[in-house]
Amino acid sequence: MLQLMVRRALLALALAFSSVSASMADTFVFTAIPDEDETKLIERFQGVADYLAEQLGVDVRYVPVKSYAAAVTAFRNNQVQLAWFGGLSGVQARRLVPGSEALAQGQEDEAFETYFIAHSSTGLEEAETLSDDVRNRTFTFGSKGSTSGRLMPEFYLRERFDAAPEEVFSRVGFSGNHTRTLRLVEAGTFEVGALNFQVWEKELADGTIDTDSVKIIWRTPTYPDYQWTVRGDVDERFGEGFKERVQQALLELDDPELLASFPRTRFIPASNDDYEPIRAVAEQIGVLD
Amino acid sequence: MSVIELSNLSASFGGRRVLGPLSLTVADGERVALVGRSGAGKSTLLKLAWQQCGSDIALVPQDLGLVPALPVFHNVYMGRLNQRSSWYNALSLVRPFKKDRAEVCEVLQALAISDKQWVPLASLSGGQRQRVAIGRAIYQGASALIADEPVSALDGPMANRVMELLSERFRSALIALHDVDLALRYCNRIVGISDGVIALDEPSNRLSTADILPLY
Amino acid sequence: MPFMSAYPTVRVSLLFLAIAIGCAFFADLSITAANPWKDLGNFFLGLVTPDFFSYQGLATALLRTVAFAFVGVALGSVFGFLLALAFKWTAVRVFCSVIRSVHELFWALIFLQFFGFHPLTGVLAIAIPYCGIFAKVYSEILDEVDPEPSRALPRGTGVVSSYLYARIPQCWEQIKTYTAYRLECGLRSSAVLGFVGLPTLGFYLESSFAQGLYSEAGAMLILFYLLIATIPLWLRRQTLPFYLAAAPFCLGDGFPIVWGNVSRFFTEDIIPAPLRQGDGWAGLADWFADIAVTEALPGIWNTLLLTQMALVLTGLITLLVFPLISRQFGNRPTRVGGHVFLVILRSTPEYMLAYILLQIWGPSMLPAVVALALHNGGIIGHLVGRQSSSIGLRPDAARGLSRYGFEIVPRVYRSFLALLFYRWEIIMRETAILGILGIHTLGFFVDSAIQNIQFDRALILIGVTALLNIGIDKLSRFIRGRLALQTLPTC
Repeated sequence: MLQLMVRRALLALALAFSSVSASMADTFVFTAIPDEDETKLIERFQGVADYLAEQLGVDVRYVPVKSYAAAVTAFRNNQVQLAWFGGLSGVQARRLVPGSEALAQGQEDEAFETYFIAHSSTGLEEAETLSDDVRNRTFTFGSKGSTSGRLMPEFYLRERFDAAPEEVFSRVGFSGNHTRTLRLVEAGTFEVGALNFQVWEKELADGTIDTDSVKIIWRTPTYPDYQWTVRGDVDERFGEGFKERVQQALLELDDPELLASFPRTRFIPASNDDYEPIRAVAEQIGVLD
Repeated sequence: MSVIELSNLSASFGGRRVLGPLSLTVADGERVALVGRSGAGKSTLLKLAWQQCGSDIALVPQDLGLVPALPVFHNVYMGRLNQRSSWYNALSLVRPFKKDRAEVCEVLQALAISDKQWVPLASLSGGQRQRVAIGRAIYQGASALIADEPVSALDGPMANRVMELLSERFRSALIALHDVDLALRYCNRIVGISDGVIALDEPSNRLSTADILPLY
Repeated sequence: MPFMSAYPTVRVSLLFLAIAIGCAFFADLSITAANPWKDLGNFFLGLVTPDFFSYQGLATALLRTVAFAFVGVALGSVFGFLLALAFKWTAVRVFCSVIRSVHELFWALIFLQFFGFHPLTGVLAIAIPYCGIFAKVYSEILDEVDPEPSRALPRGTGVVSSYLYARIPQCWEQIKTYTAYRLECGLRSSAVLGFVGLPTLGFYLESSFAQGLYSEAGAMLILFYLLIATIPLWLRRQTLPFYLAAAPFCLGDGFPIVWGNVSRFFTEDIIPAPLRQGDGWAGLADWFADIAVTEALPGIWNTLLLTQMALVLTGLITLLVFPLISRQFGNRPTRVGGHVFLVILRSTPEYMLAYILLQIWGPSMLPAVVALALHNGGIIGHLVGRQSSSIGLRPDAARGLSRYGFEIVPRVYRSFLALLFYRWEIIMRETAILGILGIHTLGFFVDSAIQNIQFDRALILIGVTALLNIGIDKLSRFIRGRLALQTLPTC
């Protein structure tokens, strides 16, 4: 009886898997690093998916992932062909997928910043350099794989204190994403945090930050960040000139609501070389081999 | 030609010799009763005999070797597991074939428990279980039998009926029996065991109950 | 207590207690959140004001959770059973102990790298470690079967027929009970796989929690408890084949497997970086030394600290909660309440519980210790409580606290210890995995390596974790042997 059931189950398993593979073959799939609250991401990128489908004339699907690495891996494994990466994840992805290209970045991404923020109980105020008083406080990054939430803040921390973050702070955490960094510092769970300046500005404009409990204490110098990256082999799969059409579509995106959800004023062309500084920093810190 | 041939057999338990050395041969057509006090070494002798003999032989061990979780039918059917393919056996476990059902039913009828064919073994009495184990041995269709007190839990008439059946179905046998009358009536040779060695070995028609009793 | 310390069980308990207290001095156990109790209050408020309709994907998530559990556990049990038949070979035993020493989430993280979001990732992540556990437990069950019936079989009976008739029927009930119990575990594992991106309940639970949507999260938790509590109602012998046949179709459409990724993973990704880059053996030695000093050793240290504290706290919680369901104490209504409480404790996967507590209390070892102790204490408390109910006391036996101290605890203490040591390895496996949540146990470093796309490092660290688990398993077996403690495999 048992054996019979098993055979039946195995057969069904094989059938289920094979039927799936056929239906997904011609969909253009993209993903994004989960740097903010998921509800917001799904809202934003579903809009992008609809827009791209209309512009490109193919089925376009957005898949949410749980980590930066999962976004890179899905891109590398050709399960997604396009991705909205951060500076670091983009560099990682393009190293792993020869032929892939940075297509477009937000206008703001040419000169991105990280804000260091602190809970009001620390008494820290905004200054030209990062105050020495942050020593021995608790501190949270965003995701381990984030550029503005981890890589660049760590780079500037090392530059400022000439020590690893673990030696500067009494406790170092990884909140997971920028929204959560904001919430954790706001709530006082961590005294200091570092996050993507665009997330801060947008939340501030939306009126969702309790400015009595959390404030900016330092703004980093600028660096290049987010970009759309596409695999090199999309032309083979979706037809000659597909890559240019994707780039064109992104550059022409002018729906104010959609742009505001990123938030970016518009998208401008980007190239792999734009992210050379990020690669150098990542290698210096040891995040890249 | 002999069915069972044991030569210079001995067995120890915890450094103490419990059996042998002894030699025993059961010829084709011989039905041998093993008699003797409990603890004399009969069960050990039967176990060793079973280990050393060929495949055309059925066994009724003292603890019956039944599977309580299966119904009576399957416990009897197990007598022929070696004659069927694994697939056939697996299917029979789920749904027995008609032919087998009829054959098993015939055996159970002879043992007067055909009404119990689909009853789980766990609900049977000791005597009924004993008959199921005998049913398994009969169903196997071997020409020889090794049995350890196969009718100990049966009442007088039933014990006679079963012993009668065993002599019909098996040409040769080696049966441990504590009931001397049954031994004399249904076996043609009596082997008495005392302190692990053979103390008596005579055809049963030359013996009477009184000859055997000293062994107890 | 000069008198009590004459008992080896008491001496071992005191030793472990002392070790745990020692660990507490080294461990970071602070609550860092500014308003931990307010957040905890909000969370419970969410539980009592569940919002079942905020997210329409909830039903699908539940379906996926059940489907992954069914397919994973079914495959695991079939292959586990086949391995159990060959368990007498050392190679099989070693193989099984290796595959079960790697946690489901680690397996999922490995398969995600080359199968990606294909249903096979989730199915194998459950099936493989479960297969190892099934093989061990099934073989233990089969070994205890009465050997007489197979001895009475006619000569020349095939191995398969002999197992089918003479062995398996004897332990079928036990196998069934254990498999059903593992299915419950499978549901928990399946839900947790969502935390790394598979489309099960954890996926949505994580999003809701991260955004502080406690009513939404509360609804998911309540549905999950209901799902587990009602298993006896919907899981019947008649319906099982239907579930098994339907489950593979309910896994959802992931993405097609690209086989090139699989070979790349094995031929490039997991080859240590120095060898890939041609730095030779000297480079490899440096590389290993670096991993050992910066990641493996701190990871092992923290994993051990956390495990020992969690183990002892689990014991204390067990001793506290088992009277809640014991017939020796309280009355019917209090026992029903106790049962509900224990079901909630053991149905909440420790990973989920730790995640919740981390969100609320802030990051330190404390949420992890508490989560592990509550979950495991719930499981052992249930078993000990059930056992204590069957004790027959003399009519004039003491009541209340005296009954607890003089009559009941001494009688259940040995099996309590046996169960606790049995779960030692399980607690350690979970401790390692909780690192993914940010506590610096081995899982933290595995996760970091994966986030940095350094699978060679990740695999080395997973291997270290596996060895540590196997070591604890051996040690636990040794201690149980020395104290002559026996456990049923079904715990």
